[in-house]
Amino acid sequence: MSHQHDDHDHHHPRPASEVELRAQALEALLAERGLVSTDAIDAVVELYEQDIGPQNGARVVARAWVDDAYRGRLLTDANGAIAELGFEGTEGDNMVVVANTPSVHNMVVCTLCSCYPWPVLGLPPTWYKSPPYRARAVSEPRAVLSEFGVELDDEVEIRVWDSSAEIRYLVLPMRPSGTEGWSEAALEAIVTRDSMIGTALPAALQPASG
Amino acid sequence: MHDMGGMHGFGQVTAPGGELVFHKPWEARVFALHMVVDFEGLGARPGGRATREQMHPADYLAASYYERWLWSAEQRLERSGTIAPDDVERMMQRLRAGEPAPTHDDHELAQRTVTGLRTARPMDPPPANVRFGPGQRVRVKRMHPAGHTRCPRYVRGAVGVVDAVRGADRLPDRATYGEKVAPEPVYSVVFESTELWGPSDDGAWTIRLDMWDSYLEPAAE
Repeated sequence: MSHQHDDHDHHHPRPASEVELRAQALEALLAERGLVSTDAIDAVVELYEQDIGPQNGARVVARAWVDDAYRGRLLTDANGAIAELGFEGTEGDNMVVVANTPSVHNMVVCTLCSCYPWPVLGLPPTWYKSPPYRARAVSEPRAVLSEFGVELDDEVEIRVWDSSAEIRYLVLPMRPSGTEGWSEAALEAIVTRDSMIGTALPAALQPASG
Repeated sequence: MHDMGGMHGFGQVTAPGGELVFHKPWEARVFALHMVVDFEGLGARPGGRATREQMHPADYLAASYYERWLWSAEQRLERSGTIAPDDVERMMQRLRAGEPAPTHDDHELAQRTVTGLRTARPMDPPPANVRFGPGQRVRVKRMHPAGHTRCPRYVRGAVGVVDAVRGADRLPDRATYGEKVAPEPVYSVVFESTELWGPSDDGAWTIRLDMWDSYLEPAAE
C-alpha cells in the first residue's frame, strides 16, 4: 500500500469524484423517498463537528486531575462520572477509564474494526482505523509508541486494550509535573486526543492563562 | 481481512493525513447517513460492521474507511428491499445530468437521531452465577467462524487470566444475525505478550480483551 497520502485516503477503486457522487446519490435517493432527511444528516454532521469530540474527554481528564473524588468515581463508574459532565451516547455505552501510572502505560486499539469512545473523543482519526495501527498495536506496541515519539522505560508495563467487544476505553494520562496550581481550563488545553488513546503523553505546554 | 491483529507488512502507523477524522465532506455525510439508517431500522441485518467484514479482502484493503461504510449502507438497504439494485446508479445519472439533488426536511427525524446518538445503552450487569472469576486461568477456544465474531484470530487457543467480569451481553456472533440469544457474561481477560507472540525485542507487555463466555473454556492451573 502506498504511503503517499495526500488528502485522498489510500487507493480508490473508483475515481474520488465517482465515490462522492455515489454517496450524494444514496442520500438523495433516500431523501426523495422521505426515508432519510437532509436536516437529520446535517444535524449529525454538526453534532460531531461541534459538540462531540476530544474536547469532551479533555474535560473529563482535567476534572480527574484536580478532583480526587471525581477521579475515584471515574475509575469505578466511568459511565456515571462522564455523564456528570454531560457526555454520554452511542459508542460510549460501556465506558471503562484506565489510568496511567509511573509503572503502567495504557493504549487502546480495535484490531477488528475501529471501536472508539465517541462521546468523549468524537470519531477516530484515520491512523486509528488503518491497517498499520490495527495490526501492530497488539504485537509491537513499543515500536508503535516510538513512531508517535513516546519512549517508555523498559520496566513500564504496557497494557494494550483491544476494544473489539462492547467496552470502550479512555486513557487517563498522568498529570504532567510543573502543572501544579493550573486552572482546569489550562489543564484541558494540554490533554490531547492521542494522550487519551495512549499513543501520546499530555502536551508539555505553558498554560495560556492561570 | 478485517481481523488484523499481528499482521505484517502494512508499514508505518504515522503518515501525513492520518490525523484527520474526515478527508472530504462526503465522508461525514456517509457517516451521518449510516447513523440515520441504523436508528430508523432501514437496513437489513447483519449490521454495518458485520456487513463490511463480508467485503472481498482485496476490495476491503483498497477501499478507504468511509468507502466501506458507503458500500455497507448500500448492501444493507438493498437486502432490506428499501432500495433496488439499480436505484443508486439511476440517481447518479440524474445528478450527472445536472438535476439538483432532491432534499427532504424532517425536523422530528433530525431530533430523534441526535437524541439517539446522545443516549447510552449499557449492557446488563453481570449475572450472579458466572463461570469464571478474577484470577482464574482461561483458554480461548480454538475455532474458525466464517461469520461475524469479536474473538480475534490472534487470541484463539491462548491462555489468559480473567481480570474482571464486565457485564452480560448477547453473543454478537449470533445476535448480529437477529438470533434471539440470552445475554451471557463478558470477561476482561489479560494475556501476556509472550503467550500470544513469543519472545520479542519489544520487551514484554499485556494485551487485554473483553471476551464473551462462549469464547472461553477453563485452563489448567
